[in-house]
Amino acid sequence: MKRVFLLALRDLRLEVRDRAGLLSVLAFFAVMLFIMALALGPEEAALRRAAPGVLWVALAFGSTLLSTRAFALEVEEGTLDDLLLTPGGKEWIYFGKLLFQMLLLLPLALLSLFMAAGLFYLPLERLLSLFLTLALGVLGYASVATFYAGLLARLRGREVLLPLLLFSLVVPVVLSAVRATLGLVEGLPLGEVAPWWQLLLVFDVVYLTASALLFPLVMEG
Amino acid sequence: MLKAAQPNQPDALTWVFLGLGFLLLPIGLYLALSAPPDVNQGYLVRIMYLHVPGAWLGYLAFFVTFLYSLLYLFRQDPRYDRVASASAEIGLVFMGLALVTGMLWARPTWGVYWTWEPRLTTTAILFAVYVGYFLLRGAIEDPELRRKAAAAVGILGFINVPISYMSVKWWRSLHQTQSIDLTTGKIHMDPAMLQALLFNLFVFTLLYLGFVRFRSLLAAMEARKEEA
Repeated sequence: MKRVFLLALRDLRLEVRDRAGLLSVLAFFAVMLFIMALALGPEEAALRRAAPGVLWVALAFGSTLLSTRAFALEVEEGTLDDLLLTPGGKEWIYFGKLLFQMLLLLPLALLSLFMAAGLFYLPLERLLSLFLTLALGVLGYASVATFYAGLLARLRGREVLLPLLLFSLVVPVVLSAVRATLGLVEGLPLGEVAPWWQLLLVFDVVYLTASALLFPLVMEG
Repeated sequence: MLKAAQPNQPDALTWVFLGLGFLLLPIGLYLALSAPPDVNQGYLVRIMYLHVPGAWLGYLAFFVTFLYSLLYLFRQDPRYDRVASASAEIGLVFMGLALVTGMLWARPTWGVYWTWEPRLTTTAILFAVYVGYFLLRGAIEDPELRRKAAAAVGILGFINVPISYMSVKWWRSLHQTQSIDLTTGKIHMDPAMLQALLFNLFVFTLLYLGFVRFRSLLAAMEARKEEA
């Protein structure tokens, strides 16, 4: 458990010290949201209706930029094998990297929610519920992304391959996250939004367990 | 499925599956065409005899891929990987058949070729996952990494199936869709229609088994050529 935190904190420190990666992802969110808002026109109702979809597509695209970073440094520095050589199970590497991804993605997701709120007239009264949706959706996405990033870490064309593989797998997550966000924005009662949270939770648990179980099998040898 | 280490030609069982399958196919077709027309849809309902077996075999094939992907990860034997990829390939073909026949069926009954109804959406996603499976296989040169990565997609991709079906139920409880539920129609089915459908399912399954064994053999021969 301690190792998981140590690994995540080390990666986070490296990432924050570097800054260039984080800033480019943030800029990507901003530009994408801005272009989509421009493309969809000035009408308020239409913008608000489209906002959840735009937000989640931007999040999905933006976080693929980040997902390769989880293992990129390890491969560059040749430290991935050292990590794998540590005694005991290998799951902790997966969880450490996942935690790192979540620590990066959650603030970014929150920021892009505020950006979307500004550009798309999103009401933010139910911020807590919106944040719960963000957390559940981002976790579902990151659980698969981290797994694939580890699997493809040593591959040359991973920047192209990763999103291709990822998007088809996480479509259910994105879909239910969009539905939940839409419900919240349109002011549906929580009882009608809850099934989407349930669905997200099921996805998260299943993807997380499956990835954690498969990770050692795939990384060894 | 393939036990012999160095097979040069399909074994007897493969021929039995393929032979029986192709022999019974015309009978299945005859049964499908002579089955009584549906009360509501008339002769249109006969697409079902192609549509349902296609979808069923798609699911079965992806399940076999899932199983053999797991086996591969635990045993690291390339034979399991060959069966998994053969099954995924054939599953993709059958799934494509189900999608196409579904669209041809949807046009006259629903008025559109495609609608974002939960079942259609989940099927399309499933199709995309296994297209990704082959994109991945094509992109990785190192054979061992290719097999491992493919196995991972084969396993994670299959998890989508049962969950997607639960999402159908949850979606239904939220939104009422007017579209026809293809599965509930099966229960109120005329015995003659049910017989024809079951027969076609059986024939298609035989063909699937034959195809998978044949495709795995081809893959084994390819692998041997690659090594030589």
